[in-house]
Amino acid sequence: MKFRAKIVDAACLNHFTRVSNMIAKLAKTCTLRISPEKLNFILCDRLVGGGVSMWCELEQENFFSEFQMEGVSAENNAIYLELTSENLSRALKTAQNARTLKIKLTNKHFPCLTVSVELLSMSTSSRIVTHDIPLKVIPRKLWKDFQQPSVPDADVSIYLPVLKTLKSVVEKMKNISNHLVIEANLNGELNLKIETDLVCVTTHFKDLGNPPLASDDASRDRDPAEMAEVHVDIRKLLQFLAGQQVNPTRALCNLVSSRMVHLDLLHEDVCLQYFIPALS
Amino acid sequence: MLKCGMSGTQVKVFGKAIQALSRVSDELWLDPSEKGLALRSLNSSSSACGYVLFSSVFFEHYQWSASKEMNDDGRSLYLNCKLGMKSILPIFRCVNSFERYVEKCKIFTTSDKCKVVIQFFCRHGIKKTHNVCFQESSPLQVNFEKKMCCNTLMIQPRLLAEAMVLFSSNEDVTLAVSPLNLCLKSAHGELADLTNSVYSEMLVGPDEFDFFQVGLDTEITFCCKELKGMLIFSEAVHVPMSIHFDFPGKPVALSIVDMLLEANFILATLAGNSSRSCSPQSLCLSQAGKRSDWRQLNSKAGQRGMHKPPECISRKTTPKRLCPQGTPVKNSAAEDHGSPQLKKANLDNIHEVPRSSVGDTEEEPNSFSRRKFSSMFFGAVSSDQQEHLNQPFASLAMASDSEDD
Repeated sequence: MKFRAKIVDAACLNHFTRVSNMIAKLAKTCTLRISPEKLNFILCDRLVGGGVSMWCELEQENFFSEFQMEGVSAENNAIYLELTSENLSRALKTAQNARTLKIKLTNKHFPCLTVSVELLSMSTSSRIVTHDIPLKVIPRKLWKDFQQPSVPDADVSIYLPVLKTLKSVVEKMKNISNHLVIEANLNGELNLKIETDLVCVTTHFKDLGNPPLASDDASRDRDPAEMAEVHVDIRKLLQFLAGQQVNPTRALCNLVSSRMVHLDLLHEDVCLQYFIPALS
Repeated sequence: MLKCGMSGTQVKVFGKAIQALSRVSDELWLDPSEKGLALRSLNSSSSACGYVLFSSVFFEHYQWSASKEMNDDGRSLYLNCKLGMKSILPIFRCVNSFERYVEKCKIFTTSDKCKVVIQFFCRHGIKKTHNVCFQESSPLQVNFEKKMCCNTLMIQPRLLAEAMVLFSSNEDVTLAVSPLNLCLKSAHGELADLTNSVYSEMLVGPDEFDFFQVGLDTEITFCCKELKGMLIFSEAVHVPMSIHFDFPGKPVALSIVDMLLEANFILATLAGNSSRSCSPQSLCLSQAGKRSDWRQLNSKAGQRGMHKPPECISRKTTPKRLCPQGTPVKNSAAEDHGSPQLKKANLDNIHEVPRSSVGDTEEEPNSFSRRKFSSMFFGAVSSDQQEHLNQPFASLAMASDSEDD
């Protein structure tokens, strides 16, 4: 197994750092999948995440000026690694003013991802910072747990409001109760509801817009005003929102009534999918 | 009696010094003398000691008059003022706004000598007065000849601060030098720890330093908490920081020297082969074992008031064990009262009671190399010690002080 990659462009480096920071907020431990075309950050552990799954994908050629990998074997040309997300984001934090960033898979007593940064400095000698991030290699037989989740047929698909607004609303609601009801319809209306014995709070978002319907009969027959509803743990939604530091290029919410909330975000060229199951 | 005054800008620097010293310890000694006002702190495991001296010309006005009371030897009393960081740090919490908001600051002691009064004269005619009671305790120091170290580096704090973001405050960091470069890296812990933690390393070339003298290729390991504190202070006063060190086991000195002030942090370093041989557990056990030997050595040399340079470093295992039981210094109630009974006692008692309790912490940390080091140390500065033998209660001069004479 081999992997080495290099970033020389400052904008690419910043973008990669932002992605890494986002992942660190969404999942404490995650799986990094390296394949010839893509890098994926995956969280598919149903028990640990409380049922939450995450799939983040980026095209390697949008970031790296050099990218070489050799998977486990020719037929299985991929590498699956498990690491603590925060270690990567902290290592990248030091690369703010870097001339180049190199990442490679190494084995120093145990498998590591070595992040090596050449910093710009005033004098002639440049400073080199190296981080060895310990990780675990995931064996081939477990790879099936980390496949791309199938996108479910949603009852309602709606564009999300500005995430910062959504986050401040959800943060306040969390103080009242952990049980959140998300409902939306095809008229661009989204409601967040919290209910206790004493109080019931609803926040209404209007004119959000819905993506064009697929040529799927079930969706076309649906009454636009009819709300699809999912009950979720508010903390899971809040954790997702906390990870979004920057406003995405596109943010979609797909509701499968009483089953799950599927959040589909696009940050420039990085796609993030987050699945929150309904409360049983 | 101490009486001094500062402008808003000066008190900002003063506050920054206190913040830096708060990283060393929870206790602060205020030690005024004719030369100026010194702030000292020593941490509970005796592995770090901080000292900041503001010379009398730093202040807008500075007055220190030794008390009229003399002891039997005819020497004047020192202030012997120990404050809790918890009391004094909140007073200097918002130092950055001091420049704009505070016009003048006065610090003085009262005639009954159990309170320090800090007054801020702020804009709009607002006057804030803080009365801080202190505990009488003669300050503790560490003698360290920083000029005698083989390796001396001077660096602009900003450059090193960039490196320090790699490490979290509770980590031990290893500084490895060769004539070619300096390498700052995570200290190697036990093998088990390594699988979970990130190992970071930064190489800095000699031309980034204001002064780079390496006489001995070496690696020293120490806790980075105090280093970070000193870096922040160094940046605040815009003065480069020097690092003086030798072989592992010998303390490292971080110092800032300026016309108006001087700051020194002396930190213990891990003894032995810096990488893995010195496991924290063994350091602790040998401390307990060697304790009685150290006392003997101490009294043999006649250095009863002498305080060893600290060497024990591992934060993970040291603190609770080394902190002596029932020490008055840890009693928060004592900080509030002026310990009147101590005041009335004669000087020797005052000297000894706090000292023996804190002194225990000094004497416990021990290891083979410490003993070896101690005897070397005595040899090196023995000529200076004779004059101090006759002033058992006085603060021992720092090595740097004696050079000024």
